Amino acid sequence: MALYIQHGHGKSDKIRTALDDGTIEGVVFAARNEKKDNLRACVNEIREGYDGCEMLLDPQFYVSTLTPPNDRYLPEYPYYEAGRTASDFTGVRRIRHYAKETLDYQVDLGLDSLVSPTVIFDSFSDRWHQIALNLADASLERRAELTDPPPLLLSFVFKEEALAATEEVNRFLDTVTQDGWNMKGFYLIVARSERSYNQRFEPSRLAQYLYVVYVLGQINGLRVVCGYTDFVGILLRAVGADAFASGWNQSLRQFQRSNFIQRRPGGQRPRERYSSSPLFNSILLSQLQDIYEVGHLGDVLSGVPLDSQITGASDPLAAGWTTPLSQQHHWQTLHALDESLSGRVRPDLQSTVQKLRDANGLYTLLEAAGVQFEQNTGRDHLREWPRAIGEFQRMAGLASP
Amino acid sequence: MSDLPNLTPEQVAQLVPGASDIELVGPGGQKVVFKGTIAGEQYALKFAKVPELPEDLETEDFPMSDVAVRAQREVKTMRDCTSRHMVKLGPIGLEFTTIDDQSLLLFSEQFIVGRNLRTILRSDGRFDPAQIVTLGLHIVDAIQALWDLGKIHRDIKPANIMRREGDDEYVLLDAGFAFDVVGESLSIAPVGTPPYFSPEQFAFTNRRTVMDFRSDLFSLGVTMYELATGQHPFWTPGDTSRSLFNRITTHNPPPPSTIVPGFPQDLDDMILRMLGKSPHVRYRRCQQLIDALSET
Repeated sequence: MALYIQHGHGKSDKIRTALDDGTIEGVVFAARNEKKDNLRACVNEIREGYDGCEMLLDPQFYVSTLTPPNDRYLPEYPYYEAGRTASDFTGVRRIRHYAKETLDYQVDLGLDSLVSPTVIFDSFSDRWHQIALNLADASLERRAELTDPPPLLLSFVFKEEALAATEEVNRFLDTVTQDGWNMKGFYLIVARSERSYNQRFEPSRLAQYLYVVYVLGQINGLRVVCGYTDFVGILLRAVGADAFASGWNQSLRQFQRSNFIQRRPGGQRPRERYSSSPLFNSILLSQLQDIYEVGHLGDVLSGVPLDSQITGASDPLAAGWTTPLSQQHHWQTLHALDESLSGRVRPDLQSTVQKLRDANGLYTLLEAAGVQFEQNTGRDHLREWPRAIGEFQRMAGLASP
Repeated sequence: MSDLPNLTPEQVAQLVPGASDIELVGPGGQKVVFKGTIAGEQYALKFAKVPELPEDLETEDFPMSDVAVRAQREVKTMRDCTSRHMVKLGPIGLEFTTIDDQSLLLFSEQFIVGRNLRTILRSDGRFDPAQIVTLGLHIVDAIQALWDLGKIHRDIKPANIMRREGDDEYVLLDAGFAFDVVGESLSIAPVGTPPYFSPEQFAFTNRRTVMDFRSDLFSLGVTMYELATGQHPFWTPGDTSRSLFNRITTHNPPPPSTIVPGFPQDLDDMILRMLGKSPHVRYRRCQQLIDALSET
């Protein structure tokens, strides 16, 4: 198992295309973006047509505590109610009720694994963190009451700043790895603080996130599915994540709380992008054109089937590169990177660091040739990620002596 | 005045009428230990001083001293624990008595004929890898059985493990500090033997610290390391309690194979994992360690 599609608004035939393409092995549905009836139909269709595709539902219970919520179809779902406050989580009975409603709905839907309800928390020591633990605990209890239920993934959504408090993170890990917590694994989401989409990730926080995934997945042998990721998912897989999910637009590749809060409509139409595994980044098609013009196109191509669309044209801008192609190509690229991992942490980290170094070198070459990148297509992450990996290796005792 | 009871074998015979062949074994913590034969079997007979007893032992207001509560807990643990590698309660459960103005508690337990591992290490030198594996398998069985009761031992160390003569099986002794994770209130201050403390044992006054059987796995890891190498992984003579704390919480000892040439790599890895600074990096279930040791 490896790359999952992170479902969101406007799925059209994207999931089927990716499944037909063989680049994804699972789907994480978003309740917010699908009518209840449609979701059921979609689950049934995939069940019938794609044997072996794992289906999960992110119930997005966490949206219920955001105000004003951008919750779309969530009010149709039995477990959801907008405007919940901390007082709605006092008392065991209420917590159990939320767990029951959320899990029972997923059982009825016939999904492969259950995802527990959760709330977003800013710190591993705040009251919302405790509420999230209580919901997880109640979900374990509810699952234990069911007859022959699917495996349970405990869901946690936390702000990236929460990862800065090492002791608190360690205490969280001590808690959820206790013998009595009988879950199959975890569905984790880091709520990012970057204002706009890019690959950057503050090294110490990323190191801590890698450590969390490593401890749960590699050390404790639990399943870890990381939601709302992008290229960074390769690092998460290298340290023991069972799967990482990435969607068809930027808001499905990076979780931001603001996406779940009502805003004025608007925003720019997305520009076409090309996902380059040698650069470990998605760049603009116009930048790919620049790279072609300075004679380095071959250096940045991902080496995946859809590259033929580019190489078969006179130049990238003439390739008829559309948004659906770009999305499909993105999954092909992530899939290929993921396929290059061996499943062994040390060598995978070593090879990933080498790829990041190579990518940085390639950026240097391209910049020297006159290609200009923007902040969100640049290489800041290529300086941050190796540092994060180094820090992680020290934390995990995997550093070379 | 000594905190230990002052008893002769004759007095013990008086207190335990069914016992014969009574001999002093020696002091053990807050108790004095004798051995004696009851109905043809040898047992350890343990005595400890308690504050003066009330006239009516049935009274609900009977104040229990720490010594008495610990003994009660030790007796209950030995009675309930099903592992053959945890010492068993003998025919006398917890009793209170007096002799020569001494208020005493007494109970009996299996008398293990053999030597404790501290003694063996000193006289015979370090253990070979096969012995370390057997030791690990036996004691983790006891840890698992205690955890099934919701208890952690808190004082696993070479001096509390016996190698029984005859079958060479290892048996864990002294459940006096065994800690009931649910509903426990006594001895919230760290107890046990500091060089074998887990990092979380030092911090246990902090209620948010997670303390479970993984703490015992750490102590067993220290014990296995020491027996495998002849060196304690954290403690050296003359260490202050502060330096011991620092080493246990921050120092990563070298793999045993760097001290003992030819020591198996997989056993190295297991012991170092048991010595992980946080519970979450050790084994999540005893069975995982049993499986790993069994495959060695």
